[in-house]
Amino acid sequence: MWSYIVRRLLQLVPTFFGATLLAFIIIQLAPGDFVTRLELDPTQTRESIASLRREFALDQPWTVQYAKWVSGVLQGKLGLSLSYKADVWKVIWPRILNSMVLVVLSTLLIYLVAIPVGVYSAVRQYSIGDRVLTVLAFIGVAIPNFFFALIMLFVAVWLNDTTGMKLLPIGGMTSEFVGGVPYLQAPWWQRTLNVLWHALPVVLVLATTGTAGLIRVMRGQMLEVLNQDYIRTARAKGVSERVAVYKHALRNAVIPLVAGIGFLLPGLIGGAGLIEVVMAWPGITPMLLDAISAVDLYLVMGFITVTTILLMLGNLLSDLLLAWVDPRIRYN
Amino acid sequence: MTGKIELREGIGKSESFFQMAWRRFRRHPLARLGGWVLLVLYLGALFADFLAPYPEGKSFRQFSYAPPTQVFWRDADGRLTRPYVCASERKRNPETFRVEVTTDCSQGRYPIYFFVHGEPYKFLGFIPANLRLMGGDWLVSEQAHLFIWGTDDFGRDLWGRIWYGSRVSLTVGIFATVLALLIGVFLGGIAGLYAGKPVTLSVGFASPEFRHYLRRGHPFAAWLKALGWTLVWLGLAGLIWITLQGFLQSSLGLEAILAGAIGVGLLGAIGYFLVWQTVKLDLDTLIMRTTEVLAAIPDLFLLITLSVLIPQDIPPATRFILVVSILSFVNWGGLARTVRSQVLQLREMEYAQAAQALGASEARTLIRHILPGTFTYLIVVVTLSIPGFILAESGLSFLGLGIQEPASSWGLLLSKAQQTGIIAFTERPWLLIPGLFILIAVLAYNLLGDGLRDALDPRSRR
Repeated sequence: MWSYIVRRLLQLVPTFFGATLLAFIIIQLAPGDFVTRLELDPTQTRESIASLRREFALDQPWTVQYAKWVSGVLQGKLGLSLSYKADVWKVIWPRILNSMVLVVLSTLLIYLVAIPVGVYSAVRQYSIGDRVLTVLAFIGVAIPNFFFALIMLFVAVWLNDTTGMKLLPIGGMTSEFVGGVPYLQAPWWQRTLNVLWHALPVVLVLATTGTAGLIRVMRGQMLEVLNQDYIRTARAKGVSERVAVYKHALRNAVIPLVAGIGFLLPGLIGGAGLIEVVMAWPGITPMLLDAISAVDLYLVMGFITVTTILLMLGNLLSDLLLAWVDPRIRYN
Repeated sequence: MTGKIELREGIGKSESFFQMAWRRFRRHPLARLGGWVLLVLYLGALFADFLAPYPEGKSFRQFSYAPPTQVFWRDADGRLTRPYVCASERKRNPETFRVEVTTDCSQGRYPIYFFVHGEPYKFLGFIPANLRLMGGDWLVSEQAHLFIWGTDDFGRDLWGRIWYGSRVSLTVGIFATVLALLIGVFLGGIAGLYAGKPVTLSVGFASPEFRHYLRRGHPFAAWLKALGWTLVWLGLAGLIWITLQGFLQSSLGLEAILAGAIGVGLLGAIGYFLVWQTVKLDLDTLIMRTTEVLAAIPDLFLLITLSVLIPQDIPPATRFILVVSILSFVNWGGLARTVRSQVLQLREMEYAQAAQALGASEARTLIRHILPGTFTYLIVVVTLSIPGFILAESGLSFLGLGIQEPASSWGLLLSKAQQTGIIAFTERPWLLIPGLFILIAVLAYNLLGDGLRDALDPRSRR
């Protein structure tokens, strides 16, 4: 198994370089660089602009810039953000953490909801509950998540207005004051609770599409497995329906869902982006949008590098999980 | 008794595959519903000028964020009449100090007529017309206004702009899918066909294989090809040389030594390839690695990054084409993988092998024999990928990176709901209507695709 993991990790190396090279070329193709803007600024002298260019190697051909950047990454340095005048890692790390909070919580929620609901839908096929859930799942897949986020905000504003209390947060990740003291001085558990409270509507919106999709998959899988001979055999031996469904059928039906986490992650990371913008969650995408409009090359590259690595590791993890739950899969 | 013998008696009428599929499709009530909804939406997009009372760019600055115009059904005595609107005015409420649109029926009633002559437009871009669904002389002369779904920030009729925007939102999915499909089928087909059959890129001049190579084809073509690969290798070497020089100028110590070693190693390898080694490349590996690279970057981030390539001041039509291009650039990988796996499966089929044995060229085998086998599968994949593109476009436009003013698209219209800030959120619920349209269109496509998948599945014989 270890050789499998090492081989898979080695395969990621060319993909990683391809992806970063692609992103690098795209940003370089865009007209102007970060310093172009400063040229319009009358307070900047020609010399200071030229020295900035030299400092960030913007006067070099793009292949040199890429080589310099790669060499920095290999030394564990993502470069210097041009607009924040700070180390890229320090700028993006909290943002990535904030986005990961959403992605991890949503993944948990998706599996916690989709598996039992899918099983219910399959066991009670064509019942009223199944039909209602099917319709809801179709709508859940189709609803644009930024539209759903707007509706969620709408509901939150309306609810808070009518009840006169702050039941649901309206955007943001933290409150200014927690329990009467400024956020940063509050005890850690209160801060965590505060962040979770803010995350609640965001996670609900983000998890919707994935949950709806997985309910459909789970239902289909469960129906297929329940019709197989070995389930009939189990029932014929006198195994209770409960054991037949949960012990015999579920274990096989759940396998594609585990594999599905590899498909789920990119959707969640991208989907989180639009919701972050709507709900003012200080995640990756709002800052990436700023960085792109400012042509902050290394900041953009930093975000793309880290999310690409996370995505690739996520896929690797899902393959390993799949091999673990499905004994028929061998590492080769 | 010498009557004609009915040989087919009892067998029933035989059906073609598509007749059977159509029969199965019609049994899906939800898929049929999806089909009808899409038909209505596309007709609406086609006749957007007819449905909208005002031209696309017509704005009434004094009526920005006006709520839906009240339409009255009863006259002053309470009897039912033809629907009418009253003149409205926008002024500050002296008690609440808020700007409100007030309707005043004492200044006159303006009945809504249907199928009227309105402001002229060009149907399909070239047929002059002026027929509009709703309106009256008062609408053209601006005595009163008709905003049945309110207005946006520039005071433009939202109902009309939704239909104008549908032309973008509903076609972007189709165009992007077609483009992604062209790339996907082309590259996926090549990958599937050439899997396991590496293509010779270059042959070293001093290697014994080079003489073999020269003898195989026409000498002129062979030498031309040799010149081609020599130029490519030399170009690559030049690029590495420039990079190495620039890099060494600004680095010291271990970094410089390592970079120098790598650079010299690469240059040496190129020299080796040029002189001695035959380089073969599996196109399948190349194409599949490319799709992996594209899949490795989160889609949204790739879209956002690509959108900087769209220049700012370009006509809406060019912008539309560029948006379609970047959408399909990001998403062709999945389609290519699908086509490749199908081709891999089908090229081992007896009929494909038979075609090859009969002397059909590779291109002919692919186009005439293999690709038709993937059609039904592709129809389903296409139907289910269009809604994805619609969502992606609306997301991009929502962020202000896709379609831009003064053109209209559902995502762009929905972004107005966000721009006004959370404070005014509950006061302008009509700005959320474009989102409903995205939802309905995507839902209809998903339902249709689901029905098609069941109907076109050749294994289901019902």
